[in-house]
This record gives sequence, structure tokens and C-alpha cells, in this order.
Amino acid sequence: MSALSAFARFELVRLLRSWKFLAITVGFPVIFYMLFLGERRSGAIIDGTVPWRVYLMVSMCTFGALVAALNAGGSRLATERATGWARQLRITPMPAWSYVVTKVTASMLVVLPVLVLVELVGFTFGGVRLAVIQWFALTGLLWTTALPFAVLGVFVGFMVNAETAYPVVTALMFVLGYFGGLFNPVNQMPQALQSAAKALPSFHHAFLGLEFLSGQTLGAVNWLVLAGYTGVLGLALLWKYRLEESRGLA
Amino acid sequence: MVDADWDVTDSRGGDLALRFGGVVRRYGRHLALDHLDLEVRTGEMVALLGPNGAGKSTAIALLLGLLRPHEGTIEVLGTTARQAVAQGSVGAMLQTGSGSGLPPGVKVSEALALVRRLYRQPASFEATVERAGIGPLLGSRTNALSGGEAQRVRFALAIAGDPKLVFLDEPTVAMDVDGRRTFWRMMRQFGEEGRTIVFATHHLEEADQSADRVVVINHGRVVADGPGATLKAAVAARHVRFVAADPDPDRYDRLEGVTDVEVCGAGVTLISLDADATARDLVRSGIPFKDLEVTGACLEDAFVALTGRACRDEPGRPL
Repeated sequence: MSALSAFARFELVRLLRSWKFLAITVGFPVIFYMLFLGERRSGAIIDGTVPWRVYLMVSMCTFGALVAALNAGGSRLATERATGWARQLRITPMPAWSYVVTKVTASMLVVLPVLVLVELVGFTFGGVRLAVIQWFALTGLLWTTALPFAVLGVFVGFMVNAETAYPVVTALMFVLGYFGGLFNPVNQMPQALQSAAKALPSFHHAFLGLEFLSGQTLGAVNWLVLAGYTGVLGLALLWKYRLEESRGLA
Repeated sequence: MVDADWDVTDSRGGDLALRFGGVVRRYGRHLALDHLDLEVRTGEMVALLGPNGAGKSTAIALLLGLLRPHEGTIEVLGTTARQAVAQGSVGAMLQTGSGSGLPPGVKVSEALALVRRLYRQPASFEATVERAGIGPLLGSRTNALSGGEAQRVRFALAIAGDPKLVFLDEPTVAMDVDGRRTFWRMMRQFGEEGRTIVFATHHLEEADQSADRVVVINHGRVVADGPGATLKAAVAARHVRFVAADPDPDRYDRLEGVTDVEVCGAGVTLISLDADATARDLVRSGIPFKDLEVTGACLEDAFVALTGRACRDEPGRPL
């Protein structure tokens, strides 16, 4: 176990030292929050009870989690697989599955500070006021439900190579962000796009947060969709990993 | 997977560091290893010599459990390849193509510290630094190393777990002449501690100078196997060909320098370690001949000539 925690710590240190990673993960959600905050639009996607600045904060939390997970898993993983480092780890006594598990864990660990940071920006610049317990509960909710993003990021890291990683990650970031209704409330989108949004994990992630803040019961559908994505992506990741393993690539 | 039938009760079993028994490995239709049989005993330093694509890297990947054989058995330190890796008894330096094989964004000391943590009984940090000669590099970022420096660091990572058995796939590929010399000196010292070292190379010189034993692999098979010191002489081997009225092999076998005789109709080919002496002796013997021709033997032939171990008789099996 100490080997695993050493590896997880090693991964985390590498992530937090990377300026490129930090600039993208912290920069995107915070800058977008500030940019869009000035728009006095209705953020009312649930019975008009959620003001724009709150909608935007939750959306940017989701976007931040997405960006962090896709960059921590996706492009970085593809790069280090290309350098041969992943293979070097495979020939240590560390069990093969723990490489994947540690990657997902490290992604989850970097998602947490991003959520806190966006909430802090929401508090200071957006004037979002919640009870202390609500802040904690919201953070916990958005953090645990970010698991499908972390699995997606690692899966993408296994599917792409060092060259295709950046375009693929960028495309996913904006597809899941825009069509998931993170920049524009879903019920203000054209009908066709609304149904598309409801198929994306990013929509359901943000929606859980909004439901929570508007005092509603959290929708079972949202949980199910997120759990479904986690399961399907997890299986896909396992399949891809096994495939590479049998070819001696993983 | 079909298990090849080899004798498990081999009397030398206890001394064996690794063993291939009839191993077949394909990539699609390409046959990378073609019923490879090979044994390496504990403490040996063995070079796998062969041209690119001969199957050396595939053999090493199989020994590390990175690949599974399609047929045959592989035994590493008395167990399976995967088990030997899981026990931490094996270390390796693999080919990394254009990559450094190192994690980007950390110091060399951090990478080494992590890899040590992954083993239950690693070698001491200081011993590993000393053995690989990476003291001056510890504070450098892994992405700021030269090719040769990165190779040394990768060697340190390969031995950080204090392995009994080490595999090196073209370990000196990015090193200059001095770097190579230093590297092999360190390697020899490491091997003298009773460890088994198997390295792949396509440099004859390197195999010859560094290994106790050279195993020549081509087309996925062992074509020759013998002590490295004789290799240099082996490359001096030549084919002496001529047409003779009397194609009786026994008449040519005793000519100076000849190690092997092949007769095909009236054509005679002598494999000789000293073509000049053989030609002189042939003239002196008074045997009538014509169309004398001397050509360089290929490494494979040279090795056969020297070690007396013929290539396997049966032709390459179809897929």
C-alpha cells in the first residue's frame, strides 16, 4: 500500500508542478466565470429559483472538473506512454491495475482544489452566499460525481497518442462543456440541442449541483446517467488496457 | 497456449536463470520467434546478438511478461515471467524509441526514489546511484538529460530493485564511445555480484567484449551459441569455393584453417578461419581444382564454423 500511495503522491506532485496543466485547469473555469458573470441573464433552468451567478458557478465547477480530468488523464497520459515511462512501471512489482487506478485517483485529487477555487471565485466575485454546510455538501457532491470525468480522461489517454491527444481533449472539453449546457442554460437552447444535452454527463453533473442548491430532491436519473457513464467508460478502459497488455504495449 | 514438452526434471534446473522451451510468438502473420530454445544459467552474462528484427526485443518482452508466447514455455528464476517481475527479482532497460523512458517533470532523484518504493527489498539509494554513476545527475530534471545520461538513469531504474536478473535491450544505443566503455565497466561489476545479465545488441564488438557467452539469433531462432571471446576470430571466417573432380569431404577436412566442408555436386565449399593458409594448403595437397573463389562468410556461417553447432536442420516451419 505504501508503494501505491508513493506513486499517487508522485503523480500529484508532477501534476501540480506543471505550469501548462495548472494554467489550463485553473485558468479556463475562472476566466469564463469572470467573463460571463457580467451578463445579467436568467440562469433559471430549475423553476426560476437559481440566479445566473449561482448557475454559472456550478457550471464552471463542472467545467473545471472536466478540464482537470481530461488534461490530467488524457494528454499527459498519452505523452508518458509515448516516452516509455508507462512501460518501465509495468516491469516493476507494482500490480498492473494500480497504474490505471492511480491515474484515476490522481485526476480526482486535482479536481477537488479546482472546485474549491471556482467556489471561492463565486463567493468573492459572484457574491454567491451559502451556509457553511451547504458549501461543504456542494463540494462533496460535485467532487464525487466527477468520477466519470476522471475515468473518461484516463480512457482518452489510452485511446489517443501524443500527437492526437491535444485536439481530442480540446474537442471533448468544448463539446461536453457547450452541449452539456455549461455556458448556456439547457432550457434556453433549441429543442434538438436540449435532448442532446441530456445525454451528456456534463449536463447531469451540473444539474445535480443546481438541484441541490435550489433545495430540490436530487434526481435519480442524474445519478443513474453519471453512474452509467462511469461503468461504461470503466469497462471500455479495462478492455483497452487488456488489449494493449496482450500486445505488450501497456 | 500449447506447452512444449521439455523435461522439468533437468538436472541443471536449479542453476537456471531462464529458459525458453519451443517458444513461438507471432505478430499477425510475421513469425517473430520460431520455436526458440534457450537456457541461461545463473551468473552468466549473455549477449543476444542479431540484426534488427531478429526477435531479440520480442524475447526480452516475453521474459518480462509484457507479451505472452503463442506456443511453448518460458521460465524465469524458477517461475513464470510475470511472477518473477511481481516478486521484484527482475529489472530491465527497454528500448524506448524516441522517448526518454523517464517520467517528465521530475528530478532524477525523485524518479529513482519512486521506483525504489515500488519494490519490497530495493537496493540502497546510494548503491544504485554509485552503480549507475548518476551522482551528478540527481538534481537534474528528467527532460533536461542528454540521450546518454537518460540511458544511465534508466539503467539506475532497472537495478533499483536489486534484481537477480537484468535484461537490457540495446542499452548503449544513445551513448558515445566513452559512455559505452564506462557503461560496460559498470555492467561487469554489477554482474560480478552473482547476477545474471542478458542484453540484446546488434553490435558484434559489444557482444564480443562484454559477454561471457554470445547467442546469435536470426529469424526468431538461435543460430549459434558460444563464448564471446572467439567471436572476433569468427568474423574472419571465409568461404573458399572451387570445383573439384573429387568431391570427397574427408580430403578437405584436414586442410589448414578449415572448420567445415560442404559438397554440392562437383562444387566444394570450405569454411575457413584462414583463407590464405587454406588456399596454400590446397595447392600443396595436389588435389586438382578449378574456379577458386574466396568470399566472406556471413556471421551465422562463421559462428557455425567456430562453435561446431549447426543451424537447426528442419526448414522454417510455416505459420
